[in-house]
Amino acid sequence: MSVIHKLAYGARHILALDIAGHNLVTYPDDTFLVSYPKSGNTWTRFLIANLLQNDRPLTLLDMERLIPFVDGQTRRFFKAMPRPRIIKDHGPFNPQYKNVIYIVRDPRDVIISAYNFLLKGAIIDETYPYMTFVDEFVRGVRSPVGSWGENVASWLATRGNSPRFLLLRYEDMLSETVYELEKVASFLGMRVTADHLTEAVNRSSADKMRRLEKMHGDDWTQNRHMKRKDIAFVRSATAGGWRSILPKSAVAEIESSWGPLMSQLGYELSV
Amino acid sequence: MKDELKYLLNYISGRDVAGRYFATFPDDTFLVSFPRSGNTWTRFLIGNLVQPNEPITFLNVEKVIPDTAAVSKGYLKRIRRPRLLKSHQFFDSRYKKVMYIVRDPRDVVLSYYNWQRKYGEIEDDYPLAPYITRFISGDLPGLIGWGSWGEHVLSWLATRYNRPGFLLLRYEAMLAEPAGELKKVAEFMGIEATPESLATAVQRSSAENMRTMERSQSDRWIVTKGRRKDIPFVGEARRGSWHSLLPDSAVEQIESAWGPLMKTLGYDLTRCPSSALQPPFTQLGNWATWQTQPIRQPTI
Repeated sequence: MSVIHKLAYGARHILALDIAGHNLVTYPDDTFLVSYPKSGNTWTRFLIANLLQNDRPLTLLDMERLIPFVDGQTRRFFKAMPRPRIIKDHGPFNPQYKNVIYIVRDPRDVIISAYNFLLKGAIIDETYPYMTFVDEFVRGVRSPVGSWGENVASWLATRGNSPRFLLLRYEDMLSETVYELEKVASFLGMRVTADHLTEAVNRSSADKMRRLEKMHGDDWTQNRHMKRKDIAFVRSATAGGWRSILPKSAVAEIESSWGPLMSQLGYELSV
Repeated sequence: MKDELKYLLNYISGRDVAGRYFATFPDDTFLVSFPRSGNTWTRFLIGNLVQPNEPITFLNVEKVIPDTAAVSKGYLKRIRRPRLLKSHQFFDSRYKKVMYIVRDPRDVVLSYYNWQRKYGEIEDDYPLAPYITRFISGDLPGLIGWGSWGEHVLSWLATRYNRPGFLLLRYEAMLAEPAGELKKVAEFMGIEATPESLATAVQRSSAENMRTMERSQSDRWIVTKGRRKDIPFVGEARRGSWHSLLPDSAVEQIESAWGPLMKTLGYDLTRCPSSALQPPFTQLGNWATWQTQPIRQPTI
């Protein structure tokens, strides 16, 4: 980093206007909503935010304010947030995160979503071979948060048995959304009625989120720097897409890398 | 505010301590462990092997295998690649080549207790019982950034064990067979080692030699400079001290917190029998050899 960049950072740091990231000051009553990227984190945030703000319709920008991304807001923003805070992150194990909701998703589906995400950012284009991408994905190349297996295993091994850790499977959330959201609410110590839960689930449907993305997606921090507007952030919101999309050899590579971990999580191996 | 300005001046000039967030290279090799697990000894062993013409001392060890928690970002940027770096960090996905040293937590806690007293991180007469409780939960000054012992070990084993670029070393095995374990390190790092060079490195890095060097060099080593001398940095250099020094209740607490992991690592549980870790975190190899060695009881 050049001295000018460093000086600019220094000025921001003094004003606490630097992005929080690893400089975030954590409190014991914080809850972190963590997942490997492309595992349903935004949907889960949207669901929870709909419980937090149930008196008026929720936008993606509201969600970003209510459950901010640790790499998306300044230290000043986090300091001003009312406690207890809920904060989103994608990182592997961090000992300073004491209460953690971790979302896991079948890596064979994650990879398809990750490919799409890189297309949206115009980091790769449609000619990029899937097999090269799979190879990079398995080795954790391009990922600042470890490979899928490293990210998941680092949390499960350290915190899997802790009462302050809640493991969610994206697939369960799809099939039993209300039930899973109730687990989240009770983990967060929120008092919610069955009506609240149903209402939040209805308001967070993939259709509604797609509509919101169309309306103000360009103002949403998540999409602002994404070059391709023709590809949506909110995607199919389904499980098992890999069966028709992923080449057999790609499936084999993923399963041979993380087979035991996938089995432990209930993701049936096909090869 | 004064601290902030100091931090910024150091940051801008590249003199801030490297810590966790410095630029890594794909050809870096890291020597990682929880604190007080034999990392400094291993640095001496490796250093003496790769640099046979100039024995390792506390005054040159930071040049050969710098401690990322002690040297600056600027320094790490300037040294020659491929770098060999010492770290106490919990899992970091950017570390592609890792040697991880693990030590019986019942011994680690005693060593760490003395170390924290030396560094004034706890009061000198801080009672051991609450210390153990806080050690287990990872809630001690200094520990907050490292994670608890169990978290630290598991964060690395679960992500890297049995993968290329990872070597697990046990402190107890190193004590029992230093030359044999150092040979594994040499193979992992791709450096040449003969029985003679291994023996020399082991001899130069003996606890006795290190203690002598600490006495004359501690005022000039970045890690011990200005610290109290009545508690030495080089500890007992043995395994099993906990048998006589740790109260039964403390042993019980530690074993009930980390039993499955300890069992998986080959550490015998004496108070709280437990089964090993569940898959996929099991197969950690056969650790039997060092367990047949008698434990030397420390003299109190």
